[in-house]
Amino acid sequence: MDRSTRSKRRRIDRSPEPRRASSNGFIQSPVESSSDELAAASDHDETERRRSSWNIQKVYAPKRPSRRSHSFSGSESSDELTMDADEYWRSRNRRSPTGVSAISEQGNDDEPTPIGGGDEDNDNDNDNAINGDMDDAEILAGQTYSDRSPTPVPPPPPPPPPKPEKLNYHHKFLLKGHLRGVSAVRFSPDASMIASGGADGAVKIWDTLSGKLIQTFEGHLAGISTISWSPDGATIASGSDDKTIRLWNVQTGLTSISIQGKAHPIPFVGHHNYVYQIAFSPKGNMLVSGSYDEAVFLWDVRSASVMRSLPAHSDPVGGIDVVWDGTLIASCATDGLIRIWDTATGQCLRTLVHEDNPPVTAVKFSPNGKFVLAWTLDDCVRLWNYVEGRCIKTYQGHVNRTHSLSGGFGVYGAPSGPPWAFAVSGSEDGAVLCWDVVSKKVLQRIDGHTGVVLGVDTCTLGEKRYMVSCGVDGTVRVYEETDEEEEGAEVAAAAAAAAVDDGEEQQPEEEGDEDRDTTPVPSETPVTQDENAGEPQDTEMGEAK
Amino acid sequence: MNLSLIDPFVLAQDYPDTLTEKLRSGHATCLRFNRKGDYLASGRADGTVVIFDIETNGVARKLRGHTRQIQSLSWSRDGRYLLTSSQDWKCILWDLNDGSRVRTIRFEAPVYIAELHPYNHLLFVASLFEDQPVLVDVSSPKPIKRILPSAPFRPPPPKGEEVDPAVAAKQAAQDAKHSTCVTIFTALGNHIVAGTSKGWINIIETQTCTTIHSTRLCNGVVILLRLASNGRDLLVNSSDRVIRTILMPDLSQLGIELEPPNIKLQVEHKFQDVVNRLSWNHVTFSSTSEFVTASTFMNPDIYVWERSHGSLVKILEGPREELGVVEWHPSRPMVVACGLETGCIYTWSIVTPQKWSALAPDFGEVEENVEYLEREDEFDIHPAEEIHQRRLDQEDEIPDVITIEPHNKSHVDEEMESFCMPVLLDISDSESEEDIVAVGPGTMRRRSPGAGRDYANAGADGDKDTAGGRNGTSRGQKGRRR
Repeated sequence: MDRSTRSKRRRIDRSPEPRRASSNGFIQSPVESSSDELAAASDHDETERRRSSWNIQKVYAPKRPSRRSHSFSGSESSDELTMDADEYWRSRNRRSPTGVSAISEQGNDDEPTPIGGGDEDNDNDNDNAINGDMDDAEILAGQTYSDRSPTPVPPPPPPPPPKPEKLNYHHKFLLKGHLRGVSAVRFSPDASMIASGGADGAVKIWDTLSGKLIQTFEGHLAGISTISWSPDGATIASGSDDKTIRLWNVQTGLTSISIQGKAHPIPFVGHHNYVYQIAFSPKGNMLVSGSYDEAVFLWDVRSASVMRSLPAHSDPVGGIDVVWDGTLIASCATDGLIRIWDTATGQCLRTLVHEDNPPVTAVKFSPNGKFVLAWTLDDCVRLWNYVEGRCIKTYQGHVNRTHSLSGGFGVYGAPSGPPWAFAVSGSEDGAVLCWDVVSKKVLQRIDGHTGVVLGVDTCTLGEKRYMVSCGVDGTVRVYEETDEEEEGAEVAAAAAAAAVDDGEEQQPEEEGDEDRDTTPVPSETPVTQDENAGEPQDTEMGEAK
Repeated sequence: MNLSLIDPFVLAQDYPDTLTEKLRSGHATCLRFNRKGDYLASGRADGTVVIFDIETNGVARKLRGHTRQIQSLSWSRDGRYLLTSSQDWKCILWDLNDGSRVRTIRFEAPVYIAELHPYNHLLFVASLFEDQPVLVDVSSPKPIKRILPSAPFRPPPPKGEEVDPAVAAKQAAQDAKHSTCVTIFTALGNHIVAGTSKGWINIIETQTCTTIHSTRLCNGVVILLRLASNGRDLLVNSSDRVIRTILMPDLSQLGIELEPPNIKLQVEHKFQDVVNRLSWNHVTFSSTSEFVTASTFMNPDIYVWERSHGSLVKILEGPREELGVVEWHPSRPMVVACGLETGCIYTWSIVTPQKWSALAPDFGEVEENVEYLEREDEFDIHPAEEIHQRRLDQEDEIPDVITIEPHNKSHVDEEMESFCMPVLLDISDSESEEDIVAVGPGTMRRRSPGAGRDYANAGADGDKDTAGGRNGTSRGQKGRRR
């Protein structure tokens, strides 16, 4: 059925020409290219029409410069472009002895928006890459043009640097303070703080840049399996083996360390068994939790009550995630199923299952929400295209047979170039592994933990990129990405900082610090709560049956 | 993100069909969605304003400041500010970031309807009970009120012709009888559309506060004016029991292609119930303005007409009480209305059935039987490693996990909708649904008399009014406008 005839028929008795034009403009926009096999041809038309009509606000508003706001990276470079860039890069390196770091510095100054740059940048990149070595001459030419033309032409930015072959995260801080294994670690939304929760029932807030302990929240009656920051960074939710979820108010700007934080008075009570994983919705008004009792609950955060219960799985739910715009929820369970739910209606939209049916212990949406990363107990992390229901990548190299590991996505690449994505996960042999999302190659393997690494998170703070990991050995480790050139200096500085940190971490609550450093299993450490002593492994979620 | 997974047939449905939700917090008398459609403001008979979160159906914020029934609500474009008008002769502009009052504006009469300028939240227009409508500028703490004319525009007499003084005096006397009942801004806010008690529509220039055009639409009082989200269609509810849709001229072309004498307000459709002669409490456009919906007087039904043919497509049924204000969600096929007796907020939307094939990926929903064909290698046995390796080798796609595709929405929207209401963890929702118990058709009583009433004591004189509103006597106040 043709679009235009349809619209004519629908609006037969009215004349507004501009409106029809505008609505057609929307429909023909190439943005909506759905590969949904559900949508048969005519239905598809109808869908498109609905979608566009829902989204168009037909107000004729004042003219504004169109701006693309929601994008992690505006610039996408094709492969041949990268090749040209590579040549240019090498020649540039030969010419300037200062090396990569200097150039990337310059890139930062010239082009302040390497991420979300938009199309103009891309075009400029293109021109520049073609012209290759003519860079300086072209800038001059550009300036002469700018004298004549009314709008000055900005100097073209340097071409995107080649895709790095490996990552360079280096150990920066070793955060000790938890009395037992640490099961979850998360950067705050603004990346300025790190929250960690562990088997000792405590949530600790650390400063990302200094590694200092800011706050400790205690109140759970059993170990904590999962934590989640609210989107505004003012609240942390923690899910515990005592079957409750608690909210904690994070007080920013505190200078003195080790202030006992207070729990929000109303805990989220409703689960019949251990809470395994929780996630806030992007607005912070909803919280999704998955539990050992096989249910997925949607909580109204304001009233601390269950809004909706999803009849999710027939086995303990191991992982939960919410997509960036909040419309989808992913859940997974040890029955081997990954289910995608519609947040608004609570309906299951897709179920993903691998042929071998390995237990799925954690699930994570990609930053753009088009893919799902799932951890399974067959030593694999898989990337799924959930719309088509296919596994498109399998990442291997780590050990994952018994524990519920988790990780996430990170971004790498020079600041002036396009961002590349990597997937990161812990491993049961004490390593943290980073894979390139596309090539599946291990970009970096970080050893350091003496036990299973249970949680990893990444962030970008200012110009720097950080990673944090936690494990059964009771430590939280912070890593910082460094350039290869500055490697030596950075390592020394990091070591020094870590040493200083170790010295400062001598807080009253931890006496057996040296002992714990050497013992891989935290069960020997002094425990404050007696009921925890009986079950040393209680927060290691999703053990294989 | 969920659009690619949702059944296209469900997406194709334009209007709601089933009563799905019942929200309650006190006795709601008026409703309004914000532009984004994630929050619903409801004004109560006791003067409290309650903001509901549509996603959780929970109370997001309560605003206390009015002492009598709320008459109208108006959101700012970015959803941060809310203007409320009340029968206590006040308008309050609220900042929803912290729930504080930005401005409190007092008038010399009860306020019918106050509406914010579409782009400037410090400018609004208010129509007053038996008084001249005013344009209020609250950019400074002391509000500047400018009185808007109610009299219809009389074209100046042709040159050289004398106006008969008697005729002029008669006209002036007639003009003096006009009083404005409702005022709204046009889409750009450069003009104000006003409806008068004599059935006239006046178009007033915001800048100069002068009437540039008048049309006589009907004999009855213009009760309500609504502008569609595209700004080109006007919906008029008047006391002659007819709902009219009007195609608005493009007023931004004034002075360029359009001259004030050439303005024409052309009636597109007249919706009415010829048989029952129903009159309409409240009217609204649908999100795409393809549909018009209205709640009926003395009748629990909500009528939905479609505009392309002007035919009635649906009568929404549900509660057994008369419904007052009806609102359509700004992007979804969802209608909310509040009951006059109980003050409950009813929600109609589409109920989607669970697709069973979504739960079991190896099952498919087929229309008819499909012949089973065995594939050549279907039951071949391969070593597990080989299968695994073969699978790995097939993974040669280049997924982009970072880039977020730009939305279909216009850029202006995304820019404006940056305000995010903070989530309050200590919302005291003492008045739950159980507070009011139905003891018979149309009669309600409070389960625990006096409990949860302390909120109403904020204004001493508001108390009596509150009690009256709960027993259903707010009908009288409503009726005064008719």
